[in-house]
Amino acid sequence: MPTLLRRTLSAWTAIVLLFLWLPIGILVAWSFNDSRLNVLWHGFTWRWYGAAFSDAGLLRCLGNSLQVALWTTLLAVPLGTAAAFLLERFRFRGRMALETLLLLPMIAPEVVIGVSLLALFVAVHCELGVATVVISHVTFCIPFVLVAVRARLATLDPALEEAALDLGATPTGALLRVVLPVMAPAITAAAILSFMLSFDEFIVTWFTAGPGSRTLPIEIYGRVRRGLDPSLNAISSVLLLATLLLVAAVGWLRRHSPGPRR
Amino acid sequence: MLPAAGVGPGVTRRPGVAARLLILPLVAWAGAFVVLPTAILVVYAFGRRGTLGGVEPGFGLDAWSRVLDPTVRVVLARSLAWAALATVACLVLAWPVAWTIARAHPRRRTLLLALVVVPFWTSFLIRTYAWVTILKGEGLLNGALLAAGIVAAPIEMLYTPGAVLVGLVHTFLPFAILPLYAAIEALDPALFEAAADLGAGPVRTLREVVLPLTRPGIEAAALLIFVPALGLYAVNDILGGGRVDMIGNLIADQFKGAARDWPFGAALSVTLLLAFALAWRLAGRGRSLAAGLDR
Amino acid sequence: MRLVLAAVLFACLPVAACTRREPAPELQLFAWSEYVPDEVVDGFTTETGIRVNRETFASNEEMLAKLLSGATHYDVVQPSDYTAEALAREGMLRPIDWSKVPGLRNLAPEFLHLPHDPDQKYTLPWMGGTVGIVVNAERVSPETVRSYADVFRGEHRGRIAVVDDPREIVSWALATEGLPINRIDASSLARVEPLLRAWLPQVRVFDSDSPKTALLDGDVDLGIVWSGEGALLLDEDPKFRWVQPAAGAHRFVDTLAIPVDAPNPEAAHRFLAYVLRPEVSARISAAYPYTNPNLAARRLLSAKQLANPASYPPQEAKLEFFRDIGAAAVLVDRAIARLKAGL
Repeated sequence: MPTLLRRTLSAWTAIVLLFLWLPIGILVAWSFNDSRLNVLWHGFTWRWYGAAFSDAGLLRCLGNSLQVALWTTLLAVPLGTAAAFLLERFRFRGRMALETLLLLPMIAPEVVIGVSLLALFVAVHCELGVATVVISHVTFCIPFVLVAVRARLATLDPALEEAALDLGATPTGALLRVVLPVMAPAITAAAILSFMLSFDEFIVTWFTAGPGSRTLPIEIYGRVRRGLDPSLNAISSVLLLATLLLVAAVGWLRRHSPGPRR
Repeated sequence: MLPAAGVGPGVTRRPGVAARLLILPLVAWAGAFVVLPTAILVVYAFGRRGTLGGVEPGFGLDAWSRVLDPTVRVVLARSLAWAALATVACLVLAWPVAWTIARAHPRRRTLLLALVVVPFWTSFLIRTYAWVTILKGEGLLNGALLAAGIVAAPIEMLYTPGAVLVGLVHTFLPFAILPLYAAIEALDPALFEAAADLGAGPVRTLREVVLPLTRPGIEAAALLIFVPALGLYAVNDILGGGRVDMIGNLIADQFKGAARDWPFGAALSVTLLLAFALAWRLAGRGRSLAAGLDR
Repeated sequence: MRLVLAAVLFACLPVAACTRREPAPELQLFAWSEYVPDEVVDGFTTETGIRVNRETFASNEEMLAKLLSGATHYDVVQPSDYTAEALAREGMLRPIDWSKVPGLRNLAPEFLHLPHDPDQKYTLPWMGGTVGIVVNAERVSPETVRSYADVFRGEHRGRIAVVDDPREIVSWALATEGLPINRIDASSLARVEPLLRAWLPQVRVFDSDSPKTALLDGDVDLGIVWSGEGALLLDEDPKFRWVQPAAGAHRFVDTLAIPVDAPNPEAAHRFLAYVLRPEVSARISAAYPYTNPNLAARRLLSAKQLANPASYPPQEAKLEFFRDIGAAAVLVDRAIARLKAGL
C-alpha cells in the first residue's frame, strides 16, 4: 500500500480516536477541578471524589445499576445463547416468527419498547421496581446476545463436531463438550456486551423504574439537568478506570491462556 | 452413525425433546414481553384519552387520525433524515479507522480496539454534556479557535443542528467501527494479492473487491446506528436546545409531556414498530447480520 | 443445567416483583428535579430514621403519567396548583390530617384557600413563584425589555432561552393579546397563533430544567424563566436583571400532597410537618429562592434575599393562576408541536 495512503489512514484514525476521547478527557479533568461551575480551571482537588463516595443516594443508584446489569446478564446470556442454537440448528414451525419477535426489541426504538413495557406493567398492576427494570433490560439484551452468538455459531468449523461424533460422542455430548467451549469467547463477549448495555441504559429504564430502583443513568439525568455536578464526573472517572483495568486484565488473561489464537 | 440430517453449521434438523424444552422459555418470554406489550399498545391506540392522561375505556379513532397529521409526517421525515445522515457520517468516518485496525499488527489491534470501545462504556449522558462544555460560546473549542487567532469572535456551535450531529456521531461511532472491522478482518489477504496481480489500483480494489465482500458488515453497522439514532431524543434536547422535535420526543412527550395523549403515543409507537418489523422481514437480513457481526 | 436454572429463576421473578412489599420505614418522594434540597431530605432522614427514596420529574405531566400508570406508589408528591386541582377532583389525593401538621399557621394568608384547594384539604403550599423575564444587562439594555413582545421584537433572535412548557408559552401570547390566560379553546389559540409563529423560531434554547445554564454560559442574552431560576441568576451575577412583564404573568403555587394510595402516610405527614419548620423552610429558600409562603421562615431570611425582586415581586404586579383546562391541553400541545415542526 502506498505510503501516503497509509499515512493518511493512520492520521485519520488518530483524529477519530482523539474525537472519541475528547469528552472523556474533559470529564476526567473536570472531576479534579476545584470549581462547581466548571467554566475555568481553579485548582486541583479530590473533593468531588469524596463527595461522590459519601453520597448515599448516588451510591445506591450505582448499586442498583450493578445489580440490574448482573441479573440482566445472567438471564439474557442463557436465553440468547439458547435462542441462537435453536434458530441456527433446528427447523420448526414458527421459527421465523420467533426470530422476528426476539429481535424486535433490538430493531425498535427504545422509547417504543419502554412505553410498551410500561403499558404491560400498568395493565397487570405490577409495581415498578428492580424486577421490572431487569425484565425490560433482558428483553432488549436477548437479541444482541442472540446475534453475537449466532454469528460465531454460523462460522464454526463443522470438522470439530464431526470428529467428536466419529469418536463416539452423542450429538448433545458433542454440543456440550466441543461446541460450547469453542463458543466460550463469543459467549463471554456477548455477556460483556449485555452487561454494558444494561449498565448504561437510560430510555427504557426511565419508563420501567420505580422510586426505589433508580439506576445510575437515571440519577445522572436528573442531576445533570440541574447543572453538571462534578461528583458525577468523579464517579464516571472511577468507573472508567475500573473498565480500563478490566480490559487490561482480560487482555492479559487471553495472552496467557491456552487456546486458539485470537 | 450420524443422524439423518447430520450436524454442523448450515444443516438443520427437527428439534428433539431437549430442544423443545429450550424453546419453551423463549416462547414464553417473547409472548409475555414482546407480544403482550405490543397488543396492549394496540388496545391503547384505539382508546380514548383520559382527563388526566392514561386511557379510558371506549373505542376511538382520534389517535390514528392524529398519526396522519402533517406534523407527524414532518417530524418523522426529519428524524429519518437525521438518522440517515448520522449513519452515513459514522460509516464514512469509521471506514478508514476499521481498515487501519484490521490491517494492524495483532498486538496493536487489541490496543486500538480497546481505545475505540472504552469511551463507549462511560455514561452517554455525561459524554453528551461534556460536548456542551466543548461547544458552548465560552467553551473549549471556541477558546482554542480564539487563542489560535482562527476566528475573531466565538462561533455559535451549541444548540445547532450541527451540534446534534456531532453528538450523534460521537455516540454511534463505535457501533460503526466494530462491525466494519470484523468484516474487513475476515477478508482473505490473498484477495488483495490477486487483485494487485490483475493490475487493479487501490480505488478499484476497494470498489470491486472490498466493498462488495464487506457489504454484510456495512449493513450490520448501518442497522445498529440507524434504528437507535432514530429514537435518541436526548442528544437532540441537550445539544440542540430542544428546538426541534424528533419522533422520539413526540412519542415520549405524549407520556411525560403536557398533552397526556396516551392513545396517540401508543398509535405512533405501534406504527413505528410495524414499519420496522416489516422492513426487517423484507430485507431478510437475519443471516447476513449474523455473518457481519462475527466476533 | 444452567438453562433449567435460568428458566426457574426467570419464572420466579415476576411473582416476586408483583407481590406488595412489607411496609418499611421509607418515604417515596416524587418531586421536581430542582426543588427539594438534599440537606432537607438528609436532615429528615437523620432525625426520623425514615429513608427517603426520591424520584424526580421535570413537568407536571411527567408526574401525572407516572401517578396515573398506577404502577408506582408515592407518599408525597409535588404538584403545581392546577395539577393538584385536577388530582383532587379525580379523587387521587388523600385529605391531610392537619392535626399532624401544626406548622400551617405559619403560612401567609394569601397562600391559603386558593382557587385550586379552597378548603385547604389536600395540599400544603411549598413555594410560590411567577414566570418573568431575565436580562443580561451587559448584552441587552433592561429598559428596552418590559414585556413578552419586547423579548420577541426580532433584535434578540437566536439569543433567547425559554422554559419548554407549551401551556406557559401560550399564556404569554394570550396575555400579550389581552386574552384571559385560562380560556383556551380553538378560537383563542387561533388568535395567538400568528404571534407564536413569529416568536418560536427566535428561541435558541427550550429548557424547563435549568434554563439558567444557557444564560450563565453566555449562549443566550435573555430568557423567560421561572422566578426561582431568575433569583438564582440575580444572586450569581449582578449583570442579570429581572423584569416582571407588564401584560401579566402566571403566578403559581407549588404544593405538597399525599396520594390516596400512599404506602406510608404517617411518614408523609411527618415530612410535611418537617418542612414547615422555619429553619428548614429557610434552608429551602436559600437553595431555591422562590416566594416562601412561610412567614416564620421569612423572618430568618437575610435582607438581601427578601430584596430580590424575582423572589418577592411587588404587590401591584399583575399575576394570575393557571386553572385546569382539561382536554384543551391537547390543543395547546398540538399547536406548539405543529409550530415547532415549522408548519
